[in-house]
Amino acid sequence: MNTTFLIHTFWLSISGIPLTILITGAALLLGLPLGFGLAWIKIRKIKVLYPLAVAYTSLIRATPMVLLILLFYSTLPSFLNVIINKHFHLGIKVFDINPVIYAIIVFALIAIANLSEVFRSAILTIDPGQKEAALMVGLSPTQIYRRIIIPQALVSAIPNIGNLTLNILKGTSLAFMMAVPEITAVAKTAASYTYNYTEAYIDIFVIYFILGAILQVIFKFLERYLGRHKLKRTA
Amino acid sequence: MLTVKNFKKKYHQHEVLKGIDMTIEKGDVVALLGPSGSGKTTFLRGLAFLTPGDSGNIIFDDQKIDIQSATANDIKQLRQKMGFVFQNFNLFANKTALQNVEEGLVIGHKIPKAEAKQIAQEALKKVGLLEFSDHFPSQLSGGQAQRVGIARAAALNPEIILLDEPTSALDPELVADVLQVIKQLADEGKTMIVVTHEMAFARDVADKVVFMDRGLVVEQNEPAEFFDHPKSPRLKEFLSRISAASVANNSFEYEKSSVN
Repeated sequence: MNTTFLIHTFWLSISGIPLTILITGAALLLGLPLGFGLAWIKIRKIKVLYPLAVAYTSLIRATPMVLLILLFYSTLPSFLNVIINKHFHLGIKVFDINPVIYAIIVFALIAIANLSEVFRSAILTIDPGQKEAALMVGLSPTQIYRRIIIPQALVSAIPNIGNLTLNILKGTSLAFMMAVPEITAVAKTAASYTYNYTEAYIDIFVIYFILGAILQVIFKFLERYLGRHKLKRTA
Repeated sequence: MLTVKNFKKKYHQHEVLKGIDMTIEKGDVVALLGPSGSGKTTFLRGLAFLTPGDSGNIIFDDQKIDIQSATANDIKQLRQKMGFVFQNFNLFANKTALQNVEEGLVIGHKIPKAEAKQIAQEALKKVGLLEFSDHFPSQLSGGQAQRVGIARAAALNPEIILLDEPTSALDPELVADVLQVIKQLADEGKTMIVVTHEMAFARDVADKVVFMDRGLVVEQNEPAEFFDHPKSPRLKEFLSRISAASVANNSFEYEKSSVN
């Protein structure tokens, strides 16, 4: 075991954390509103959009993350290049676009599909009786969703949102295939010079473990904070 | 004040309500009795368009509604005159007892916050739960939750309150408190329709008792006459089953025998 390398690479890999967090965070920020919109389409069974939403969701959820990344990274730039430059002659250098952008798009697509299912099931767990009660005291359907259903659905969705965030965080380790210098990529590159792969993997393991643990603590806190009303009898 | 004409409702092929006619005068407390499956709850929910009927007319003061062609606006206007108390309370789980009552006042009826708070507190006080204002529904007992449900409906001062088996989901020892609150509303002159299995309560509080069976109103009368001199054979049978059950002090038997 090369301890010097282990420690050196650990600090080196930490420099990849911001990118990991950026990709995870951006995917989540895009995924939350869009996933909610998709869930809305599925619950209200909105014409035309409904079958598209269902097809999209099952397609993304049925495909391995690695495959999506490979497919996306190998085809999208060429595809964009054809559209933007061959058809519209805009002269944008598609192949120079930062791969981080592609990574964010891929993970956002994954997040949207999964979050839409998370939101859909969370909304459906709220007893429709509350909706009826709200109608009877004069709330409009929009007000009912905003004030009664969504706040409760959010609470029951938090654990699943946490799971998904964790999965995306771990999934970003695959972004090294898109030449994104996140944690895994940095460590592997360092190892490839000296063949100290074991040490590099240990570093990666420790970093993901720390990040994952922090995420879990955050979501536990959120769950408890937003679920205040679920506290059992105190008096 | 409220007249219902030829109210019909089908679930798939099964005709649950075969044409209900009913008139309710201002200040009336109407108890709706009948075996389960007789359509009492369907009728009550139909009045509020929670599960809309198929056909018939609802005339509420000067508002005339043809059920088949009711618009969203008609329904909204009708609901503004109604309060509804649910069997399962249906309190807003993310709001405190006070907020549950305030919600309809502030958001539904656009009453200024300070004033709404006062009305809500008054309503909670009436049902004896002022000190539970800050409790969430999960922290209330069934009886307390239902009393909040009643306060929520009554605070809006509706012209009529519809109560759908308000004590059916409660433990026996909690029933009395809730009935007491309903009786208090009756004493104040509130117009109410109560679907209930509490015979003593119906006899004691109602101005009129209506017996429904298999989607029809079979008999209606003032309570003393209704219980002491039932006319139709079906009501006689229903009442004898209940009194037999209460003599045997076995409500489970009653529940079982009333299913058919």
